[in-house]
Amino acid sequence: MKESTRREFLRASSWAGLGLLGAGCAPKVSDFAQKPGRRVVVIGGGWGGATAAKYVRLADPSIEVVLLEPTREFVSCPFSNLVLSGQRTIENLTFNYDGLRARGVRVLHETATMIEPDARRVRVGTDALPYDRLIVSPGVEFQWDQVEGLAAAQDRVLHAWKAGPQTVELARQLQAMPDGGVFVLTIPPAAYRCPPGPYERTCQVAWYLKTNKPKAKLIVLDANPNIISKTGLFRAAWANYPNIEYRGSNKVVKVDPGAREVTTELGDKVKYDVLNLIPPQRAGTIAVTADLVGADKRWCEVNHLTYESVKHKNIHVIGDSTIGLPVPKSGNIANAMGKICAVAVTRLLNDKPVPTMAPGNTCYSWVSDREAIAVVNSYKIEAGKVVQIEQKLTPGQSEAWAQNAIGWANSIWQDMLG
Amino acid sequence: MRVFTVLLLVLLVLVVAGPAVAGPLDMPGASQALVCSACHGFAGESRSNTMPILAGIAPWYFKKAIQDYAAGKRTSPEMEPYAKMVLQSGVDDIAAYFAAQARTASPVKLDPAAVERGRAAAVQCTLCHGVSGKGDPAKGVPDLTGQPPGYLRSQMLLFKADRRSPGDEQLKAVKALMRTIPDEQLADLAAYWSSVR
Ligand SMILES: Cc1cc2nc3c(=O)[nH]c(=O)nc-3n(C[C@H](O)[C@H](O)[C@H](O)COP(=O)(O)OP(=O)(O)OC[C@H]3O[C@@H](n4cnc5c(N)ncnc54)[C@H](O)[C@@H]3O)c2cc1C
Ligand code: HEC
Ligand code: HEC
Repeated sequence: MKESTRREFLRASSWAGLGLLGAGCAPKVSDFAQKPGRRVVVIGGGWGGATAAKYVRLADPSIEVVLLEPTREFVSCPFSNLVLSGQRTIENLTFNYDGLRARGVRVLHETATMIEPDARRVRVGTDALPYDRLIVSPGVEFQWDQVEGLAAAQDRVLHAWKAGPQTVELARQLQAMPDGGVFVLTIPPAAYRCPPGPYERTCQVAWYLKTNKPKAKLIVLDANPNIISKTGLFRAAWANYPNIEYRGSNKVVKVDPGAREVTTELGDKVKYDVLNLIPPQRAGTIAVTADLVGADKRWCEVNHLTYESVKHKNIHVIGDSTIGLPVPKSGNIANAMGKICAVAVTRLLNDKPVPTMAPGNTCYSWVSDREAIAVVNSYKIEAGKVVQIEQKLTPGQSEAWAQNAIGWANSIWQDMLG
Repeated sequence: MRVFTVLLLVLLVLVVAGPAVAGPLDMPGASQALVCSACHGFAGESRSNTMPILAGIAPWYFKKAIQDYAAGKRTSPEMEPYAKMVLQSGVDDIAAYFAAQARTASPVKLDPAAVERGRAAAVQCTLCHGVSGKGDPAKGVPDLTGQPPGYLRSQMLLFKADRRSPGDEQLKAVKALMRTIPDEQLADLAAYWSSVR
């Protein structure tokens, strides 16, 4: 009676979407040059944006919602570390946007190139879309210039930190690596997307090597002094993987793909057969060009009740791009922010009071092919700010938490896209 | 004449209240329950095997469950923080919200043979849960029907090991019963009660 990931949930809704739309009437940006009624534009159809688009329609179907997302399919970062260990395929984590279309969201597969806050318009090249309120959820962008040699080697040095082709290529390289080879994983300084993600990846790569290439080694170069999330639980899990060599306070500052070598801040040179370099991160580029980021030029500060930018009115920012709330950069948080922001935006557009709503977070991490751990945080609003009520960890690792992780994934994918 | 007045009144209500009244997010508890859908599904309609369905849950039982999680009687690292959150954000509104949602039975596929075996064994449960399985508030017994089989089975295993509300006098009888049932039969019982509508 174990559960498998059921893409059927989402597929079922996609047929409804097709039926409603009929074939061959995909909308174009120019169709939206005029704004006949109230309109919300959403930039980014990831964890935050897809959720927000769906929930604005749920909260008030009289509001038109236009979603801008360049990629045609949604690929889930959560569970993508399992692609490296061969426990999942990327197809298994890939979903379409038909569920949102069936809810009346106008999905445009385009990139927003500029925001004009005063004119309340989003530009896509030469076209412009007027909005009443804008929701921005562009995720993270990599700071290529922070690691010498990385900008020039972007296509050869894999991050696999946005699930998709890079995830598949990294899995292929791992499989092709000789037994006795060295896999190097580098972790950027916090704050970055998904604090436990690199340590989960460490488990999955180590599990794969232990099972398939017992003479191979995994060297983890962490810019942070220690594991930054679920520390004790990961340490306990790693006891099963003597092939892990973890080095804290080892920030990588240089990469040389020709010599297959990375250099740390301390000057240590580490040779690799396969490299996974997770670069330092900042808010998605559109948030930077639209001047939504703070003095650090990296992240966006927002009102904790509505997610409205502290810099520009009528523009809301959610997901990984935000800062200042005591929450991790997780898909679960992006989903919670998407729902809260959608309710807030519809209330504001209807001149109604915005209820006080706090997010919640659960991050499951797979520590082997069948066991998981989790951290759970709940929050409240105090004096207008998000404050943590409690953080709870699983007492250990187990197959039961892994089954709950699958339950969570199925539910939250449906919550975003179904 | 009277019919006409009623019709007029209905029309008036519709016009004054506007279309927003019946929206799925308009109940006061809905905005406080937004975080729950990440696991329990929209409106508590869980489609997964491990997360219980909350749609249509009786308010008395909802509140008891929340209190038991918050107090650590029912140990769940997922639910303890969320239960404390619910107690702070308005347990009555949230209970009313989930109670008002229509319950659709779990879509998790069941083995028909297991359902049949479970049906035979289920007479042991009806004394408390009723022949319908819908429970009895007077006895503090919840509705089992249509819940995902994985969830039902895990709760029975927790009773069996005295890990759900350990030492609770009220639950002595149900736990004693669970100890007499082999684990495979618990899976059959879960399948059966999941199949009941
Ligand atoms: C390996 C890995 C494992 C993870 N595991 C978990 C986990 O188990 N649980 C968890 O909760 N989180 C996990 N996360 C984190 C989670 O994926 C992110 O926190 C989440 O994706 C953030 O959502 P977002 O909406 O901010 O960004 P995204 O989901 O990245 O969405 C951003 C979208 O915006 C689009 N976009 C960007 N710029 C523009 C533009 N100018 N115009 C239009 N569209 C644009 C992009 O194409 C993208 O689709 C993991 C992450 C990784 C990398
Ligand atoms: C991270 C996933 C997750 C989230 C989010 C979550 N729950 Fe749960 N919930 C669970 C799990 C897992 C169980 C079963 C735990 C157990 O073994 O007792 C559960 C059980 C419950 C039960 C008991 C049901 C029964 O039949 O006894 C209630 C009530 C409940 N949750 C309410 C809520 C509410 C209300 C929220 C939102 C405020 C919420 N949950 C958010 C995972 C979650
Ligand atoms: C003596 C009375 C009694 C009998 C007999 C009984 N139960 Fe129960 N059951 C209860 C009570 C009381 C609860 C509520 C426990 C609580 O409040 O935590 C319960 C709860 C449950 C739950 C948890 C439901 C949920 O939503 O979390 C399951 C599953 C369950 N029973 C299954 C069964 C099955 C299957 C049988 C028959 C084999 C059975 N019970 C027989 C009294 C009984």
